[in-house]
Amino acid sequence: MSDADALFRTVNLTKVYSDGSVNALVDANVLIPRGQYVAVMGPSGSGKSTLLNLLGALDRPTSGEVFFQCQPLSAMRDLDHFRARQLGFVFQSFYLLPTLTAAENVQIPMFEIGIRAAERARRAAELLELVGMSHRAGHLPRQLSVGERQRVAIARALANRPIVLLADEPTGNLDSHNAAQVLELFERLHQQQMTVVVVTHSPEVASRAQRIIRLRDGKVIDDSPGFSTC
Amino acid sequence: MHFGTLIFKNLLRRPVRSLLTATGVALAVGAVVALLGVARGFEDSLLQVLQVHDVDIVVTRAGKTDRMTSVLDERWGQLLAGLPGVEAVTGALMDVVDFRDANLIGVFIQGWPSDSFLFDQLPLRSGRRLHPGDRQCVLLGAKLAEILQKTAGDTVQIEMHPFRVVGVYESYSLYENRSAIMPLEDFQRLMDRQGQVMAFHVKVSPGPEKAAAVETVCRHIENLSDQQGRRLPLEARPAYDYVKSTLQIRQVQAMAWVTSVIALVIGAVGMLNTMIMSVFERTHEIGILRAIGWRKGRIVRMILGESLLLCLAGATLGTLAAVAGVYWLSGLPAVAGLVQGKISPVVIGQGYAIAVLVGLAGGLYPACRGAWLSPTEAIRHE
Repeated sequence: MSDADALFRTVNLTKVYSDGSVNALVDANVLIPRGQYVAVMGPSGSGKSTLLNLLGALDRPTSGEVFFQCQPLSAMRDLDHFRARQLGFVFQSFYLLPTLTAAENVQIPMFEIGIRAAERARRAAELLELVGMSHRAGHLPRQLSVGERQRVAIARALANRPIVLLADEPTGNLDSHNAAQVLELFERLHQQQMTVVVVTHSPEVASRAQRIIRLRDGKVIDDSPGFSTC
Repeated sequence: MHFGTLIFKNLLRRPVRSLLTATGVALAVGAVVALLGVARGFEDSLLQVLQVHDVDIVVTRAGKTDRMTSVLDERWGQLLAGLPGVEAVTGALMDVVDFRDANLIGVFIQGWPSDSFLFDQLPLRSGRRLHPGDRQCVLLGAKLAEILQKTAGDTVQIEMHPFRVVGVYESYSLYENRSAIMPLEDFQRLMDRQGQVMAFHVKVSPGPEKAAAVETVCRHIENLSDQQGRRLPLEARPAYDYVKSTLQIRQVQAMAWVTSVIALVIGAVGMLNTMIMSVFERTHEIGILRAIGWRKGRIVRMILGESLLLCLAGATLGTLAAVAGVYWLSGLPAVAGLVQGKISPVVIGQGYAIAVLVGLAGGLYPACRGAWLSPTEAIRHE
C-alpha cells in the first residue's frame, strides 16, 4: 500500500500527558487507507482513545506527526474546520442536547459550514431516514431509547458529509440488540466507501472490522486483519 | 433550526434558574429605569415651567451651589430691565413648605409680583389672577387644590397664616400644578426676607438670533456694577443650563446613577454566577461541540447569546415594572405632581443599555472559559 492511498498515516506518534508520568502512546506508526473499516482494541489505558483523539485533531501529540491525505495536521491552520468538514465523531455517551429534538440535534454541526436553515432541516431529515429514525424526528432525547439516541448521534456525526467516522466505544452503553443495529449501520456506511475507525474493547465489535489494531501500554502490538471482512 | 432557537432552548434547560436570574436583572434594570425616569421627569418638568413662561435667562447669586439659598436685592431687577435686549424681568422668591394636615411635604411656594409676565402663561381653571394690592392671597395649582380640597374663595393655612384662595391654575407642568403662587410682598414677609428675591427671570426680546442674544444678555448681566462700581454678585444662565445645573436635580441624578452602578454590579455578579454554573454543568457538552467542529467564536456567541437574552428578558420585565410603578407612584397624593407618570424613551433606552452591559460583563468570562476548554479535557470532564 502506498502513502498516496493513505487517509491517515501516523509517524512515531507519541503522547505523554502533562505530568510526564503517563506514556499514553509511544512511537505509534499506523497507516489507514481510505475506505477501510478499522477497529482499535486494547485494555483500558492502552492508548486507544488517545490514538483516536490524535487522529481526530482533538489533541496534539507530544512528538511525531499525523498526516491526513499526506498533509501534516500540525501544519493545518484551521483544525476546527478540518473536524467540521472531514470527520464525524461518535461517542460512548451520546451527549445530545436535551432541549432539542432529534432533528435539531442533527443540525448542530451544520452551523459551522454555512448552509441555510431550510437546507439544514432537509439534510437532517435525510440523515434521520438513513439511520432509521425519521419517525422520531420531533422527539426529545429523553423520549428516545438509548439505542435510538445513539442512532441520532450517528446521524449528527454524518451531518456535514464527512469522509471518516471516528467512534469511541459506540456500543459501550447499548444492549446487544441496539449494539447490533449500530454496527449494521457502520457496515452500511463502510459499504458506501466511508472510512470507519472504531475504538472498542469488545471482540464482537472488533470482529465486524476489516482490520484490528491492538494496543497495549501505548504501543501497537498487533496490526492484523479482523475475523471477517466486509 | 436557527442559532437563536438553540440559544433560547438552552435557557429552558434550567427554567427556574433562568427565571430567577432574569428576575435579578429585572430588579436592577427596574430600579435604574424608575430612578432615572423620576430624575429625568423632575428635570423636564422644571424646564417646562421656564419654557412655558417664556423665561430665557435665570439670574441667581453668583457662587451659590444651592440656588434655594440665593439671595438677591429686589431693586437690582431695575438694572436688569434697563439692559439692551431685555424685554421683561421679574423677581421671584421660592421656598418649600409642608401641609402636614394633608400629609403633603415639600410643596413649592412662589412669590411673584402681581404684574409679573409669568402670569401671562398661567391658564386659570377658576377664580382670577393676582391683582396689584392683593394681600394674604394665594393661587393654587390644580393638583394642590385637588389634594387640599380647596377652590377659589376658600382659605388655606400656610406656615400657620391664613391665605385666601383667589384662583386655581392649571399649568402644563406637573411640578407647577403641585405648587402655589402668592404676592411677592406676602411671601417675603412670611419668610422674613423683605426686599429679597431668590432669582430674576428674564425674557429676552424676540429676534432671529435668539440663542446668541441670550448669551449676550447673560454676559451683560454678569458685568453689571452698582453705583460704587463694584460688580454685582450675579450669575446668569440660559434656562436649559440653569435647570441642568440645579443642585437638587444633580443630586437626584447622582443618586440615580450611583444606584444604577450598584444595580449593574449586582446584576453582573448574578449573571456571572449563573453563566459559570451553566458552563461548568455543560463542560462535557461543550467538548462535544468543539469536537464536531464548532469554533471557539461560536461557543462564545452561544454563551454570550444566552447571557444577553436573559438580560434583555430581565430588562423588559424590569422596564414594565418600572413604568407601572412610576405611574402608580405619580397617583399617590403625597408625591403627586413631583413624579411624572411617564418615563422618557431615552431612560428606557439607558435601562436596556445597562442590561446589555450586565449581559456582556456577566457572560464574557464564562463564554471565554467555555470556548478555550481543550476538547479532550472537556470530554473527559465528569
